[in-house]
Amino acid sequence: SLSFKMERKTIDLDQGWDYMQTGITKLKRILEGLPEPQFDSEQYMMLYTTIYNMCTQKPPHDYSQQLYDKYREAFEEYIHSTVLPALREKHDEYMLRELVKRWSNHKVMVRWLSRFFYYLDRYFIARRSLPPLNEVGLTCFRDLVYNELHSKVKDAVIALVDKEREGEQIDRALLKNVLDIYVEIGMGQMERYEEDFESFMLLDSASYYSRKASSWIQEDSCPDYMLKSEECLKKERERVAHYLHSSSEPKLVEKVQHELLVVYANQLLEKEHSGCRALLRDDKVDDLSRMYRLYHKIVKGLEPVANIFKQHVTAEGNALVQQAEDTATNHAANTASVQEQVLIRKVIELHDKYMVYVVECFQNHTLFHKALKEAFEIFCNKTVAGSSSAELLATFCDNILKKGGSEKLSDEAIEDTLEKVVKLLAYISDKDLFAEFYRKKLARRLLFDRSANDDHERSILTKLKQQCGGQFTSKMEGMVTDLTLARENQNSFEEYLGNNPAANPGIDLTVTVLTTGFWPSYKSFDINLPAEMVKCVEVFKGFYETKTKHRKLTWIYSLGTCHLNGKFDTKPIELVVSTYQAAVLLLFNTTDKLSYTDILTQLNLSHEDLVRLLHSLSCARYKILLKEPSTKTVSQSDSFEFNSKFTDRMRRIKIPLPPVDERKKVVEDVDKDRRYAIDAAIVRIMKSRKVLGHQQLVSECVEQLSRMFKPDIKAIKKRMEDLITRDYLERDKENPNMFRYLA
Amino acid sequence: MRFSVSKKSRAVAKADAGRERRRRRRRKKMRETVKLISMEGFEFVIDREAAMVSQTIRSMLTSPGGFSESKEGVVTFPDISTTILEKICQYFYWSIQYSRGKETEFHIEPELTLELMMAANYLHT
Repeated sequence: SLSFKMERKTIDLDQGWDYMQTGITKLKRILEGLPEPQFDSEQYMMLYTTIYNMCTQKPPHDYSQQLYDKYREAFEEYIHSTVLPALREKHDEYMLRELVKRWSNHKVMVRWLSRFFYYLDRYFIARRSLPPLNEVGLTCFRDLVYNELHSKVKDAVIALVDKEREGEQIDRALLKNVLDIYVEIGMGQMERYEEDFESFMLLDSASYYSRKASSWIQEDSCPDYMLKSEECLKKERERVAHYLHSSSEPKLVEKVQHELLVVYANQLLEKEHSGCRALLRDDKVDDLSRMYRLYHKIVKGLEPVANIFKQHVTAEGNALVQQAEDTATNHAANTASVQEQVLIRKVIELHDKYMVYVVECFQNHTLFHKALKEAFEIFCNKTVAGSSSAELLATFCDNILKKGGSEKLSDEAIEDTLEKVVKLLAYISDKDLFAEFYRKKLARRLLFDRSANDDHERSILTKLKQQCGGQFTSKMEGMVTDLTLARENQNSFEEYLGNNPAANPGIDLTVTVLTTGFWPSYKSFDINLPAEMVKCVEVFKGFYETKTKHRKLTWIYSLGTCHLNGKFDTKPIELVVSTYQAAVLLLFNTTDKLSYTDILTQLNLSHEDLVRLLHSLSCARYKILLKEPSTKTVSQSDSFEFNSKFTDRMRRIKIPLPPVDERKKVVEDVDKDRRYAIDAAIVRIMKSRKVLGHQQLVSECVEQLSRMFKPDIKAIKKRMEDLITRDYLERDKENPNMFRYLA
Repeated sequence: MRFSVSKKSRAVAKADAGRERRRRRRRKKMRETVKLISMEGFEFVIDREAAMVSQTIRSMLTSPGGFSESKEGVVTFPDISTTILEKICQYFYWSIQYSRGKETEFHIEPELTLELMMAANYLHT
């Protein structure tokens, strides 16, 4: 094969540069739009080769440095002679267009020239740690053109932005191209864009919206102002998408939000007839949703809204309570209790209504859940006509669960109501009080067979258990279980009677045995029972001893029911009465007429109870006994006679005994339990902490007990003193405010 | 294994410069081949893809603006001999095959080494 040595003629610098100039000139002509054919591959390679050769020649003809400098000078020359003059003679939008064109041209020029001079990039710049060709080219533009004009350009751009804000059409593509220059000229950094444009744009935007806001806040209603704000924010976001750099979005949005929504937050929300309060009052759900959307993104923006919401709900709740209170004082007793039940229903409705607000308008935000909760906690703990909310709620449950209470409602509706009632319980601080009232009423329903539906009874206990824990419902569940066991027990009793006919008392006797711990405490005192009943007691006792040893039966006659057949003149009628009432009536089997004192002595009852009994039999709806004198109330000097003329349409009638007001007793019992609970809490805390300051002990105590009730601070202090005398705690000798646990 | 010249490369040896190519109607068609002409006037018509192994040629072919039809993709190398240019064309194809997984040896005659290196530098290959 042939062997050549590559011999080239040395190219002189001037000679070589002259050749390059032809290429540069051609390029300039193309950029200026003059008629000039494009480069062809030959020309390209020639230009490239010229540079290559001049760089690979042996010294002193190695012209890399000179060519590097001349490369830059080519741009500088062009910029000074052509580019800058063209830009300086134009203004505003025309200047922007010229700039975009010149920048675009410049980039083309850099692209071409850097390809021709490319060999310099390969070795020379690295060897001398110099900026590469691309950077040199862009830097020229930056230093000569951009630095001179950027401020003027920025002003022109901002003027157009404000023009667009006022509703005029502008050339968005132009602005995008201009702002791209700021970005590109930064050569990888956003500094130029941020310092030379963005910061001014943000200031201008802030003052623009500040002006707008100050007039809108005077003229517009709250909903209108919010609509405008929402629209402005939308438009500004669009602006970013169309021509600003995406990094400007959060900054711009923050500025606009600040001027429109933060500065005037108070004035906006508190507007007299259209502010937050008014919107809540008028159920303006859409406007409230908008308010949430707008303030949600602002730090601490929702707090005032949540506050107003809380105040509003509290006011509505208080109004309902007041309404019930007013009705109670103005009307008779029974309509008052109806009003109280109506109150609970209305409170449930109120809760449902505003929960929808929380979930939908306020997107389930915790601040609003909290506001709703706090509002309810305020008015749900108010007393109405002497009844605590705990009692009202327990009565409400009783009305749903008892026979004749809510048979008109579907199972689903009942379940739903029970669910809501349990939710309301969360707001009541005296949960233990509710539990006690509920237990009392549950007992009555179970023992007098007044429960409408077993499933509902169990269902509400499950719900209560879920919400308040097992301990809350354990006694109640025990009560329900007792009833089930009692039924089984009754079957055994009847079997026993079947096997021991001699033991049969001759009366159909049903006995319910209660487990003491589960049931409310009942007074029981030994009334002198009629003989028939005494036998019943004996027989059952006999049976019970066959089943269990070591258990004592205490009979609670006040809870018993008796069916008596009354032989009246017209027709016999079955009377359903309490055991006590029966005991009174049976006295008249042997005597026609008895005085109050007679009855009192024979039965050995208290005055209070006897008056009640006699009243129910002689002064109420059914007058089984005739009272002398026939006044409306029973006095100790009265006498009573069997009313043989008594009759009624029905064959069987129930003679009710008005229940004793249990409220006082319940409150007493609960107070007693609370004392024990406080004691236990104090001891538990001190046992684990050993030493604790007074304030801390009290506050921890409150926290521990808060699940069931809100303890009175005085009561806690009293219990602490009591525990000190009982040697559970002692005061520190040096610091009387510190307490120590005594093991 | 010795490298054998691919069927695709054609060496057309002529004393004069290349034939004028017929002007086509569609201006922006991507040429599939390029023509490299050595200092002696030998024309090597190779695939565009092969030619682009050279960064220099690649830069030229991907320059904005495009080239005039008649001279597109035709490059004369007054400083590169036919032998070297031929070797370079072979190298282009070998390089493509190698990158596709066919790992063979590329044999260089010792006497060509220096000129080949210089040409490679020039062509940024």
